[in-house]
Amino acid sequence: MADGTQPPGDDPVGPAPAVRPFLVTAGRVAPSASGRTMPVETQVVATASGLDALSLLSFEQHDIVAACRQPQSIAEIAARLRLHLNVVRVLAEDLRAEGRLTVHVPNSDAVHDSSVLRRVIDGLRAIPDSRGVLRDTD
Amino acid sequence: MACAPSPTPGGYSVTPTEPAAAVRPPLPVKMVIAGGFGVGKTTAVGSISEIEPLTTEAAITEVAAGVDDLTHTPRKTTTTVAMDFGCITIDPTLKLYLFGTPGQERFGFMWDDIVEGAVGGLVIVDTRRLDDCYAAVDYFEHREIPFAVAVNAFDGKVEHELDDVRWALDVSAGVPVVVFDARERGSVRDALLVVLEQALARTEA
Repeated sequence: MADGTQPPGDDPVGPAPAVRPFLVTAGRVAPSASGRTMPVETQVVATASGLDALSLLSFEQHDIVAACRQPQSIAEIAARLRLHLNVVRVLAEDLRAEGRLTVHVPNSDAVHDSSVLRRVIDGLRAIPDSRGVLRDTD
Repeated sequence: MACAPSPTPGGYSVTPTEPAAAVRPPLPVKMVIAGGFGVGKTTAVGSISEIEPLTTEAAITEVAAGVDDLTHTPRKTTTTVAMDFGCITIDPTLKLYLFGTPGQERFGFMWDDIVEGAVGGLVIVDTRRLDDCYAAVDYFEHREIPFAVAVNAFDGKVEHELDDVRWALDVSAGVPVVVFDARERGSVRDALLVVLEQALARTEA
């Protein structure tokens, strides 16, 4: 590592899947409708109708909807299901259009709002360090 | 129902397909942890994340220096890189995501796919290999994203004074340069707080 090479075994992604990743998206590489790339932290949640229709869905679509009973980010779905990030973006957009998922693209103004930043700061300060000591609130 | 996304109190643009989902997701706030290979990005994320760091593959666009390019258009190639990330639930409505992205030494590069919308960045530095972080520093400066430089104190010692690091990296005076230990949760927390304070100061400027 120290010499700049990747250490052996540092490949948690694992071997390439046997199926070419974009086969499942019929070759599409970007979401079609929104016109904007979903940020990696975009939250995705299964709808009631999506969960009801689980048995009708196949393969990746099924797995994505099933994984989104609780809100998940696009990145989490990709990592947990070992799918390419952009494959998840395409499929999430498809599933949204079919009403199986809701897709919540974070509003940049809201994220950069000072009150939101203060809440993150306060929340982080409340995290104890490894020895259980809280940060000084000077 | 209107098709245009509409802002909601939760800070989202929800593209409506049906009545509101049963579960309202938290607002995700994203920070980027940058630095060369083996510098401690994954360790830092793992020290503070509430989940084991996950890995996914993201596309980054490399811009090769176009000395032999008659069009003066940078030649772009897309490379797939492993990206580690973790998260911290601040409260049920707010979640902090930490994305670790590799730096590239030889090329300029664009991480727009990963960085878009980030509130700030932490550039982790190994003082023995300062070169590895130049690209990240340049990127954050050009994109005007609040960031701080964190020197990872391997084995509890830093081989160079912070002023030397600041000089070598040529970061502007307003960019904090701190020492931290990527293995210590409290130390990572404090480094992230330095970045968030930068981001907050900018919103209030």
